[in-house]
Amino acid sequence: MQQIISMLIKEFKQIFRTREMVAVIFGVPLAQMVILGYTITNEVKNVSLFIADRDNSRLSREFIRAFGQTDRFNIIAYETDRKKIEQGIQSWDAQMAIVVPRNFNCDIQRGQKPEIQIIVDGVDGNTAGVAVGYAQGILSQVALNFYNNRSIPFSFRTNRIVQMEERMFYNLNLDNAQYMIPGIVVVLVTIISMMLSAINLVREKEIGTLEQLLVTPLSRYQLLFGKLLPFLLLTFLELFLVMTCAKFIFSIHVHGSYLLMAALAAIFLFTTLGLGIFVSTITGTQQQAMFVSWFMMVFMLIMSGFFIPIENMPDILQKITYLNPMRYFLYIIRDIIQKGASLPYLLSDVIPMTVYGLVIFILSIMNFHKRLA
Amino acid sequence: MIRSPNRIFAISRKEFLHIIHDPRSLLIIFVMPIAQLVMFGYALNMEIQNIDLAVIDYSKTEYSRRLVQEFEGNNFFRPYYYEGKYSEIEQLFLKREARVILIIEKDFDKNYQLTGSVAVQILIDAADPNAGTMMKYYCNFVINNFNERYGGKVLLPFNVQPRIWYNPDLKSSYFFVPGLVALILVMISALLTSITITREKEMGTMEQILVSPVKPREIIIGKVLPYILMAFLDGFLILLIGVVLFNVPFEGSYLLLIFLSTLYITTALSLGLMISTIVSTQQVAMMVALASTLLPTVMLSGFIFPIKSMPVILQYISYVVPAKYYLIIIRGIMLKGNTLAQLATQMLFLLLMTAILLRNALVRFKTNLEK
Repeated sequence: MQQIISMLIKEFKQIFRTREMVAVIFGVPLAQMVILGYTITNEVKNVSLFIADRDNSRLSREFIRAFGQTDRFNIIAYETDRKKIEQGIQSWDAQMAIVVPRNFNCDIQRGQKPEIQIIVDGVDGNTAGVAVGYAQGILSQVALNFYNNRSIPFSFRTNRIVQMEERMFYNLNLDNAQYMIPGIVVVLVTIISMMLSAINLVREKEIGTLEQLLVTPLSRYQLLFGKLLPFLLLTFLELFLVMTCAKFIFSIHVHGSYLLMAALAAIFLFTTLGLGIFVSTITGTQQQAMFVSWFMMVFMLIMSGFFIPIENMPDILQKITYLNPMRYFLYIIRDIIQKGASLPYLLSDVIPMTVYGLVIFILSIMNFHKRLA
Repeated sequence: MIRSPNRIFAISRKEFLHIIHDPRSLLIIFVMPIAQLVMFGYALNMEIQNIDLAVIDYSKTEYSRRLVQEFEGNNFFRPYYYEGKYSEIEQLFLKREARVILIIEKDFDKNYQLTGSVAVQILIDAADPNAGTMMKYYCNFVINNFNERYGGKVLLPFNVQPRIWYNPDLKSSYFFVPGLVALILVMISALLTSITITREKEMGTMEQILVSPVKPREIIIGKVLPYILMAFLDGFLILLIGVVLFNVPFEGSYLLLIFLSTLYITTALSLGLMISTIVSTQQVAMMVALASTLLPTVMLSGFIFPIKSMPVILQYISYVVPAKYYLIIIRGIMLKGNTLAQLATQMLFLLLMTAILLRNALVRFKTNLEK
């Protein structure tokens, strides 16, 4: 026991020896949380817009007013010259142009169905698609209001109508942070436990101090235990710190049980620490260890549903996500924080995650011993 | 500046051998971007389909069934009838058996026929607010279709015609192939160089090199040359795969892209050098480099998330992220056929940044050595 404690003291001293490392462990994750919390959003805002109003009727001016009022769009110029619009979009000045044709209003009165053009820069396909959707919504909304107050050229009133009353569960204000911050917590926990433990173990190998540790009276299990426990504790500290900041900065409210969250996080840490050990056994230098764990991180991130919803992926990729331990933990954390889910509802994720954790952890430890022998 | 090419090449050769001796890292450097490309190219899709929709139909009449059929008749929803208790419907969300619940009241048919106006309740799992909004739009769309079909015409007196330029099918690969090139170039140039130089420091081999007749300048140039080469090779590989496999167009000038890519690589290398002069261990170098290259390049450059949608402060921070400019350059050249004149602002920003970073790095490198 005394031996393990001395080993732990040594480990903590080693980790906190440099001031830089303290900053890396506590400062960087917080900065990451703030940046990620504000940037990861699928909302589209401030799309720079050209307005080409060749009609200048009351209706077309209504359109312009509506586009000027929303924060989705940002009108940067009124330009009717087709050439200049083309150049403006090509040289990144504007992302979209709305072209109202000449005699637009007259054509409507004559029942000729004129055409409004939305020209959009499709380089960022996702943003373009969303922005076109917004624009279409605004145009039809304005037109409906406009004609509701006036003589209607022809009927677009319905005889019978079904209306929709919707209620948004779990996220009334549609606040993006409530969804993304739990995900970011998972990512940070994974980085600290997997990457740092792998790099730390390899460092001893690279510098040659692992052999020194092996000739000490510590058994190999004690050695590994002494190596991993600090990271377990650090990760929990990190989790606590990040959750506290999330509460104050992003007003994240945890609906479920903290205890359940901590217990399931401990299970998840078996997986990530196991992966950390695994990485350390297959690599020889810190650089390699970083690359391998980075590679795994990227795979785990993209395939976890963190910012690309799993439901939207092609079938094969959806099946691949079942191989990803982060997927389960992400669902668990989101459901506990946002929906207040209790254990019975989470079993379908907890069971595979636990099995994963145990298998990976045991295999990695066996592999670690084999390599040392 | 270069006094002895031989010495530089000797150092380059050493560094190159060092890289070659580590096939695993090399493999990862080349395989990872390709794996990412494929994952991003295929996985990134914000359009939701086959949403599980639980229907609670208290009416069970002709029109309520038709409404459910309307939900069935497209790829958006997979409706099924829920027969359980009303008080337990929230469990549908908790067990992830449904993401949308449609509740049709008892008098639906009667009210619809008599008064001509009736409401249905729609409960949406909006834990993911973006998905929640989209599901709401889809419901709206379906119900509008229903109203058009059974309630008379709902029509706008004009057409809205979207014209999508440069990427008519809104393919995400068009966006990600150039983006990944920007990411990989900065990763290799900034991350790898900072680690290599720090490694020499940590191992104590830097001093061995310093007592040799090689000048600090030559050390740096010699050390970064192999990485520049590797960065170019990797970038080229991604472009090739993107153009061949994903049919990403290349509208502009190759020469211009190579020229501006060289500038960008120089900026990233200067950043890597700068980091290596500040930190003393590889572990810290990696974390600092990751935090100052990977994170901003992915998050604050417009790589995935548009800069204009961010809070204002982050928009200002994005001005010091080199990838922000390079993304415009490479996407502009590849997809829009931009010319140098159209990209002059971006080029100037990169030049300025390189000058500042490189000057600081060299000054610090020298003072570090003299200590």
